[in-house]
Amino acid sequence: MSSDNHSIEKIQEALRKRNYIADRPLATVVYLSIAMGKPLLLEGEAGVGKTEVAKVLAGIMGSKLIRLQCYEGLDANTALYEWNYPKQMLRIKLEEVSRGDRSAVETEIFSPEYLVKRPLLEAIQSDGPTAPVLLIDEIDRADMEFEAFLLEILSDFQITIPELGTVRAKVRPYVVLTSNRTREIHDALKRRCLYHWIDYPSFEKEHEIVSAKFPAIHGHLADQICAFMQQVRQMNFYKRPGVAETLDWAAALIALNRDELDAETVQETVGCVFKYREDLNHLEEQLAAKKIDLDPAKPSAPPA
Amino acid sequence: MDITDELIAKTVEKFAPPGGRGTVRNILAFSRVLKDLGVTIGLSQVIDSNRALEHVDVSSRGDFRAALRSNLVSDREQIAVFDRAFDLFWRARPDAEPNAPSDIPLPPDDADIEDGQEAQSTEELIAELAGAELGKDGETEPIMLPTYSPGESLSKKDFSDLGIEESRAISRAILLIATKIATQMSRRKKRAHRGQQVDPRWTMRKSLKYGGEVVELVRRKRRIKKTRVVLLCDVSGSMDCYSRFLIQFMYGLQNELWGVETFVFSTSLSRITHLIRTKEIAGALERISHSVVGWSGGTNIGRSLATFNRDFAPSLVTHRTVVVIISDGWDRGDVSLLEHEMQSLKRRCYKILWLNPLLASENYEPLCKGMQAALPYLDLFLSVNNLNSLVALGRTLQRMVA
Repeated sequence: MSSDNHSIEKIQEALRKRNYIADRPLATVVYLSIAMGKPLLLEGEAGVGKTEVAKVLAGIMGSKLIRLQCYEGLDANTALYEWNYPKQMLRIKLEEVSRGDRSAVETEIFSPEYLVKRPLLEAIQSDGPTAPVLLIDEIDRADMEFEAFLLEILSDFQITIPELGTVRAKVRPYVVLTSNRTREIHDALKRRCLYHWIDYPSFEKEHEIVSAKFPAIHGHLADQICAFMQQVRQMNFYKRPGVAETLDWAAALIALNRDELDAETVQETVGCVFKYREDLNHLEEQLAAKKIDLDPAKPSAPPA
Repeated sequence: MDITDELIAKTVEKFAPPGGRGTVRNILAFSRVLKDLGVTIGLSQVIDSNRALEHVDVSSRGDFRAALRSNLVSDREQIAVFDRAFDLFWRARPDAEPNAPSDIPLPPDDADIEDGQEAQSTEELIAELAGAELGKDGETEPIMLPTYSPGESLSKKDFSDLGIEESRAISRAILLIATKIATQMSRRKKRAHRGQQVDPRWTMRKSLKYGGEVVELVRRKRRIKKTRVVLLCDVSGSMDCYSRFLIQFMYGLQNELWGVETFVFSTSLSRITHLIRTKEIAGALERISHSVVGWSGGTNIGRSLATFNRDFAPSLVTHRTVVVIISDGWDRGDVSLLEHEMQSLKRRCYKILWLNPLLASENYEPLCKGMQAALPYLDLFLSVNNLNSLVALGRTLQRMVA
């Protein structure tokens, strides 16, 4: 897809149409990533919508989303390709019965037919028409060795399989990497990416997000939820809630047919927001001490 | 990192080319400003930010900023510095607003002047920093510091007075700690004769020579991570009463573990790995204190860390290295330097442990500025004032590496 018919406004608009409310800098970075063909590295606290960017982007481009979820110990075999060993074995056994040519079997069992494609190879081999979106999720969970390995792929978009030769990308995939920042990503990898930090949203933005996802929500309830979240994020909780928690909570309150947030309702549904016992206790204390204003007269976002 | 507005303004002043000189030149100058302020930028990022500007409408300040930022910054901490420098740099010189891309080619003769300027100002900056530091902290200044007075029961006897029995117990505890560090299991696998799992890839390969018949199963098991340990011990005056324990700790760790490097620091840093490589512990204190400058002197953790980061870290510290700092955190040096050095050490190593003998005392809080500055970069902050705390350290390490 050529970049000319995409401007930042169009990207922002397209994101919004798919219920993703992006501020201008994020839209700019997404646009640049498409235009420059440079991978996009998104960092931010858990639940601020990093992964969602890739999903929505795939929707906008009308292309396939290929996701690689990182974890410790992730290696080339699980990320790239693997030979289908049982199938190879069967083929060899069959050949034994028919007493065919041995070297022919050898070439055959190392042909693409016996290859199990893993996400990275799939992304590179994809033959369009539109380039796929490759989401490398939570890269900070993978170990350093994997990062080094990724460097090679992200700079050349090619993979060498010893038995088959080099596979080059026909269309360059759009790459989105996300990190929760449990550890630092190596500079070499960062340098190859466009970097963007997604912060917790402001009151206005969060309100917009809630209203976009739940058009039927009572305006006052949305005010209350977002104001609550803004206050809570300023406090000293072990795990501060992200937008994902806000949306969960809103969904829960709608399902319970509540259109008003009072202390009791908070107590009942707070499991959507806080998932640690210490945090629950802390919240209870804060509520008891009336540190959290459940019904702010004028919803204002305290600046961080 | 503590970067004042004046420093930014000064740096901007230094690198800003006179008059509007076209986009490329200005971005080059701007990236130099950022580099000087401690943002790591590669040439490819500068080139890419120029490329990025072809795609955005540069007359929109917000887009222009976002385009530059996404290319030049790759760390959340640097965003604030970037924003402040951006405001100063691109506002101070309205004529420097990026124009049409027609003025991209550079006059080559100007480049030399620019380089000269840069070298000079960097030197100046270093000289300035060093000067400020020296002024604040005289090397021989006597240190009057509250030391920890043990008010605890006998079973929690402080390391500040140490008997033979305790020495033995400490050795055992250290051995335990060393084993915990040395036997981290990796999640990656290696081929092994007696592994738990079958490695299908290699089994297939091997079977080919028997015409596809699986004759031998290749196995694999989780491999053991070779963690390296770098030990940085504070031997300044305020740590005096713990020095016997320190020596023993250094000895113990060095001799039980593979690949331990030991350093001591007070106002400056010395590598003493070679001095304690022998098994014989007697007289160690004297031997080391003879060759170490500033034993029992003042403390400058920031500068010592800077020396370590500059001279030793590149070759000694990798992402598998655990850095253990033993210090009470009383720092007489530049706190922002300490913070900066902790940050860069943190980026380089696997974990940073800070063992503080004072931490166990009940009324202790890490209030001194040095400790405060270092805290955000620590993976573990523990006390090491008695035997129980050493055992606890062993347990924590086990959990950490599990």
